[in-house]
Amino acid sequence: MLGKPEWFTRRKWGGWGLCPATKEGWVYLAVFVAVIFATQFMFTDEKSRMLALGVVAAVLILDTVDIMFRMKKDERETLHEALAERNALWVIITVLAVGIGYQTAVSIAQTGTATIDPVIIIAIVAGLIAKAATNYYLDKKD
Amino acid sequence: MKTKIAEYRKRLGITQEALAAKVEVTRQTIISLEQGRYNPSLLLAYRITKALKQHTIEDVFLMD
Repeated sequence: MLGKPEWFTRRKWGGWGLCPATKEGWVYLAVFVAVIFATQFMFTDEKSRMLALGVVAAVLILDTVDIMFRMKKDERETLHEALAERNALWVIITVLAVGIGYQTAVSIAQTGTATIDPVIIIAIVAGLIAKAATNYYLDKKD
Repeated sequence: MKTKIAEYRKRLGITQEALAAKVEVTRQTIISLEQGRYNPSLLLAYRITKALKQHTIEDVFLMD
């Protein structure tokens, strides 16, 4: 779309996403920051500002995903990324499971009924669907 | 897995970077392969064998 994969590297140590690796990558990032600032000065009402910010953020997120898909990785890098993401996912699932247990215990102790944040359940169900869809696709493909 | 990648590469006078570009991997992957730390796929082993002008995969990759 807008950015080129060769301008960035995959973020390995500090989260997910991309990190600028070349001058062009930093310029790309600076342009987005400038556009965000410009939209905040361009519009006077809060609603328009938020809308503009949302549009720019959506374009940035979509472009980042597009760049990540187009980024070339060799088989060793792909394996390392898959293992790192798997480990991260297992930690996230463990924390969510502990969270469900904690919320259940606290809510029962306080009100006598179990109350769980639905976002946690939605996250786990969404993960299950993504896993099943990936396995289905890979089983059909290979 | 032990390999003769470094030996054949030096004999051909090509750098790790050039070999990496030829077989479409990073230089770090070539380093890992040369040090026997990474076991390649059959496809990559085949590509490296051809790039090093060897006949069979067993000429380049030696099972421990």
